[in-house]
Amino acid sequence: MFLVHLEITGFRNLRHLALDLDPEGTTAIVGPNGSGKTSLVEAVGYLATQRSFRGAPRDALIARDSRSAVVRGLTDTDGRRVSIDAELRREGPSRTLVNRKPARRRSDLLDGLRTTIFSPEDTETVRGGPAARRAFLDDVLALCDVRQAALVDEVERVLRQRGALLRQAGPRPPADVLVTLDVWDDRLARAGTALADARDALVRSLEPIAARTYRAVAGRPDDLQLSYRRSWEGDLGAALAAGRTDDLRRAASLIGPHRDEMDVTLEGLPARTHASQGEQRTAALALTLAAHRLATDQLGSPPVLLLDDVFSELDPERSALLTASLPAAQTLLTTASPLPSGVATAQVLDIRVLQEGAA
Amino acid sequence: MPAFSGPLQALVDELGRLPGVGPKSAQRIAFYLLKVPGPDALRLADAITAVKERMTLCTRCFNVAEGELCAICLDDRRDSTVVCVVEDPRDIVAVEKTGEFAGRYHVLQGALNPIEGVGPDQLRVRELLARVDAEGLTEIILCTNPNLEGEATAMYLARLLNPLGLTVTRIASGLPVGGDLEYADELTLGRALEGRRTVEA
Ligand SMILES: [Zn+2]
Repeated sequence: MFLVHLEITGFRNLRHLALDLDPEGTTAIVGPNGSGKTSLVEAVGYLATQRSFRGAPRDALIARDSRSAVVRGLTDTDGRRVSIDAELRREGPSRTLVNRKPARRRSDLLDGLRTTIFSPEDTETVRGGPAARRAFLDDVLALCDVRQAALVDEVERVLRQRGALLRQAGPRPPADVLVTLDVWDDRLARAGTALADARDALVRSLEPIAARTYRAVAGRPDDLQLSYRRSWEGDLGAALAAGRTDDLRRAASLIGPHRDEMDVTLEGLPARTHASQGEQRTAALALTLAAHRLATDQLGSPPVLLLDDVFSELDPERSALLTASLPAAQTLLTTASPLPSGVATAQVLDIRVLQEGAA
Repeated sequence: MPAFSGPLQALVDELGRLPGVGPKSAQRIAFYLLKVPGPDALRLADAITAVKERMTLCTRCFNVAEGELCAICLDDRRDSTVVCVVEDPRDIVAVEKTGEFAGRYHVLQGALNPIEGVGPDQLRVRELLARVDAEGLTEIILCTNPNLEGEATAMYLARLLNPLGLTVTRIASGLPVGGDLEYADELTLGRALEGRRTVEA
């Protein structure tokens, strides 16, 4: 699957631009900071997932003087063309058309475009709190398998329903309310166990690839280890029953997949607290590249790799090592500084020229 | 500051309150009604008045009815011992189209949804339990939507109904996950009804 054409209108600070992408090679987007390179990556990410990879609300994605933003893409899968047209509206529902038909489910969208993104903010996957690591894992699960995407959504919704019920129930609710809580506990136990199992399996698959990639990019034989840690022991249903009094008293779900953690260690020490910034950044990159590799294996073809400003904080030596570690995949990368030597590009486009040319 | 004066703005406001009608559409419909001949517009007003005056909820199953009981409850050819539980009267239309069901219905008027403040008390659950003995029910088919809230509601009802000693079945999955009965096609829903299985609560 390749992205062959891209058109963006009224998205953040991008007024209008259109470009054709090289199907197999690397397209580099150059331009000074603030010229819209990250917005371009964000727009492509939106086309794939219907949300901002930076977690920005939809309203923030629409250009300030505009009522709507439009992102259009054309993909090619073995000669089969799929058009994806996303319209984001300030008022009223936003919508995405796949081959001109409204996409109703996530599966309709996965048919169109899959992406793996790395941006400077992704260092949070290693440096930030557990939520960042859970989000990373859930994104990879959703990228690889639409049923897993549905599972991620279901767990989120069960947790919202259970949370609402706990807040309404008070510390000592009557028996009939407890029966409805039983029902939500059952849904959480099933979906939550399935999600934790899926994340655990994913972490096990990621670890050897991430460790290898880390050594390659760091240029050192350091040992990167990953392990998934649940917030409960044994059966989740039984654990929820045992923790019910606490949950009711605190009016919150205190255990479940939303409290789990992925431990990342370097040479046996927690990378979050003990690694240098450079090491954290390299570890985060290794995780993303490992996810891309895994998705490629599971999907049979590589997702489009989007690298936003990836070379800016790397010294020339590490840039060269990273360049050598990049997968064979259609790649869109942005840079404010000159491209390091060794990056083979099919085309280098200046974002300012792209915007003027389209205006 | 309202854009139009008096009655026209009131009409735009009212239309804008309708589900799925945005401000633009509300204006378009209002101006259309302003333009069409009087009798045409009045027919719409009459239809709304008639629905509000004559249509009520069936006192037995909470389907829409003209009178005390709905057309299905009044039809004595239907099996009065089997009840299909749905969330919304529109779901009855979907089940009827399959031609696979000849019993009666019970409309819950929603599904368990704590986020929206819907618990058992907001649904017609007590009324369903009362029907079991009063009507001598032998089977209840839980036909709530195959999404999270519908599944939770089905499981909740199964927990209440199973101890009463009647057969409780759930429509077989095969319906699109996250789907509504309203959008399920007849073939899929027909198969789901045929393949229903008993639920353990
Ligand atoms: Zn009735």
